[in-house]
Amino acid sequence: MRMDEVRQGFISLWDSVAEGWQRLRESAAGALTRFRASEKSNLPARAEVDDEYYLPSQGWSMLGGDVFEDDRRLVVRLEVPGMRKQDFEIEVLDDVLVVRGEKRFERESTEGRWRVLQCAYGSFLRTVPLPAAVRSDKAGASYKDGVLKIELPKAESGKAKRVTLKVG
Amino acid sequence: MNQTSNANKQEPTARQEAAVLPPVDVVEDATGITLFADLPGVPKEKLSLRVEADTLTIEGEVGLVTPEGLQASHAEVQVPRYRRVFSLSKELDPEKISAEMNHGVLKLRIPKAEHAQPRKIQIRVS
Repeated sequence: MRMDEVRQGFISLWDSVAEGWQRLRESAAGALTRFRASEKSNLPARAEVDDEYYLPSQGWSMLGGDVFEDDRRLVVRLEVPGMRKQDFEIEVLDDVLVVRGEKRFERESTEGRWRVLQCAYGSFLRTVPLPAAVRSDKAGASYKDGVLKIELPKAESGKAKRVTLKVG
Repeated sequence: MNQTSNANKQEPTARQEAAVLPPVDVVEDATGITLFADLPGVPKEKLSLRVEADTLTIEGEVGLVTPEGLQASHAEVQVPRYRRVFSLSKELDPEKISAEMNHGVLKLRIPKAEHAQPRKIQIRVS
């Protein structure tokens, strides 16, 4: 890989990302997720990276999410590659699912130079509105191929709690 | 007048399906480069790596299927394919690429060719 060519390509990263994601843009506005890196994230310092757009303290990533449902359950899927199972924190708050996580930068090799760093690391938070009331005590989660899958059985009523407010 | 009919001819096979460009990290050390690409949802068997001349193509198909009987009430990821093309410099040895997938992250190791490796010359004092 010729590094100057690669670099050329990456200078226009945002253009090409925008191009590749064009088709997703309208449906995926909520997928753009902010990652906040801390000391825990173990990212290389600015001086160790050639990418001039690299900022160790922040990153953005598209975490695609889907919600599926049938009569009995909701299935939420979220694409978060490179996580450890134990670094997810999942909560159900009434009709919102909250997924927090810490994506650590774990690279065995400490020598060498980082030519490109585009993947996002650090802590993130995604909230997914749930279209129906669920029994959070019966919920389960699994993680495979970088995709988090959460199954939530629907509550008896099958409807989300709704409060109607009047504008006074 | 010159007709440019050839230019208008479209090869149906040349049209590629829509694909998402995956983000990558690349680190270079003395013996080669290591590339990491985020390919969430791509199982190992749906990953394809091709080297033609000095071009490396990474392509992955998302192996997620809509669970049976379930209806999507919200879907953000509708492009089921990732693709990214890199040009390899001559000092790299594409014959020796090794790849592994771990939690949706592809790791590729491309070593430098023998002649491009740093060499230690032993000097013997007699």
